[in-house]
Amino acid sequence: MSKIMTVDILSSIKGAKPSESVNKLFDVIKNANKNTALNTVHTNAVTLDDLREDVVIDSPQMEKQIIIANFPKEKNGYLVVSKVIEE
Amino acid sequence: MMESQIHTIHQQLVNKEISCTKLVQERLDLLKLNTHNTVNSLLDTLALASAAKVDAKIESGQEIGLLEGIPFGIKDVYMVQGTYTTASSDLLKKYKSPYTATAIQKLFAAGAIPLVKENCDSFGHGSSSENTIFGAVKNANNPNLVGGGSSGGSAVNVAKDYTVFSIGGDTGGSVRQPAGYNNVYGFKPTYGRISRFGLMAYASSTDCVGPIAKSIEDIRIVLNAMSGKDIKDQTTYPSETISAVTISNTDAIKTVGYFKNFIDNDAIDTKVKSDFLATIEKIKAKGIQVKELDFFASDTLVATYYTLAMAETASNLSRLDGTNYGNRIEGASLKDTYSITRSENFSEETKRRVVGGNQVLSQGFSDEIYLKGLSVRDQIAANFEKDFHQVDIILSPVTPSSPPKIGDSLKDPLAMYLSDAYTVGFSLGQLPTLTVPQGTETGLQITAAKNNDALVLKFANFLKDTI
Repeated sequence: MSKIMTVDILSSIKGAKPSESVNKLFDVIKNANKNTALNTVHTNAVTLDDLREDVVIDSPQMEKQIIIANFPKEKNGYLVVSKVIEE
Repeated sequence: MMESQIHTIHQQLVNKEISCTKLVQERLDLLKLNTHNTVNSLLDTLALASAAKVDAKIESGQEIGLLEGIPFGIKDVYMVQGTYTTASSDLLKKYKSPYTATAIQKLFAAGAIPLVKENCDSFGHGSSSENTIFGAVKNANNPNLVGGGSSGGSAVNVAKDYTVFSIGGDTGGSVRQPAGYNNVYGFKPTYGRISRFGLMAYASSTDCVGPIAKSIEDIRIVLNAMSGKDIKDQTTYPSETISAVTISNTDAIKTVGYFKNFIDNDAIDTKVKSDFLATIEKIKAKGIQVKELDFFASDTLVATYYTLAMAETASNLSRLDGTNYGNRIEGASLKDTYSITRSENFSEETKRRVVGGNQVLSQGFSDEIYLKGLSVRDQIAANFEKDFHQVDIILSPVTPSSPPKIGDSLKDPLAMYLSDAYTVGFSLGQLPTLTVPQGTETGLQITAAKNNDALVLKFANFLKDTI
């Protein structure tokens, strides 16, 4: 786990490099005052009573057709996936 | 003063002064011929078929709803089944929505007619609507200036009367700033009031659906139609319909605050500053108490917003790799395919944000940047809570200066980020904020406490009669 991953790998963008403009913004955050007195409790979770029903909803035919039409490659009626190389 | 166009057109349709088909055709023609680059795709077939149904209904003597037959525009980041939804990007240039966003579906249910998918900054990444494969959006008042962003096409369409209203998306000011730049109303409701289901995610913790229109009444009507709890977006909450009567009685507003440091600094244009202060005097003259408030420095607000927004967009856009959809470009291996697809199809600005997001989320950096950003956001939210114990409304300029020339923002990303200084704080606070086309060259922002959207519209009505 000690392998250092560069931002181009992390971002899956060839040749990507950190930007100077963006780094300037990050410097502002690094130097901002941290108010440790504040102890905000976040209640972002949905309550158990509010969960949606655990049912499988079948997509309408039209939706399925468009999803297939959006798939990047098709050959002889099959969807073509990218070649996977095991590392 | 500009009256409600929705009410006016509704009466014309009911009285058979104009047919819906003619109305829709006229607006489609305007959109097609327009030179402001507001259109990514026209929905002419769908629009005309819907208009014919409305005409048939009127012809047969049936009643129609207030929004029935009203033509509107949709920022090209909303799913509308069977239509191209490109986010103004090369990656999704040929992507068709399999389903329709909840907010848009609710407008369809009310009978409103979609005309156009509107130009914007790619994935909402920008403040000028120049970061797009469809050409920079030109300002409604001066085509040499930017239309603002990221919902630039939507604001220009409303300003030019190509659409009666448009639905933009606001993550850090993307509805309010273009509304200000084109002198129309643009509303960012309380986070969660309107479902985000079917809105392409930029930064999920501040993404809001927002209407743009030419009157407070039209904002109210469209806001009501789209609001409500949605099981498909579990951050939504139930809200009450805001009635026209509720927001017409402006007596309830006793105190207004403004951030002293927004006005007393070198970055603000002198005219924007003096116009803003003149507005404050007019409000005082009406017997309303005005308080100066302390707030975070502009650069802290901008840095906090961009740190969190970039982290969220890096995560949200990680799915765009040409695998299930998108313009796949094959490489030697799967990983190669991903990275070629993304580097060839994302714009420079989108790459900048994705990289920035992955920087702050990566091990060794997340503590001093991302987690710190989250903590500063909590402080900002706490500050707002304290302020709204003292004042009913916070008033602010929309932007520190007038719209830049087309081409300038792309040259200097940092300057573009800093131009969002007055809008991003309210996004981080998840507060309801409305841009009104009054007070300064680029308008004013009216903000109230969370879930107090009605009070914002109420104060807008007061300002309309006051300044």
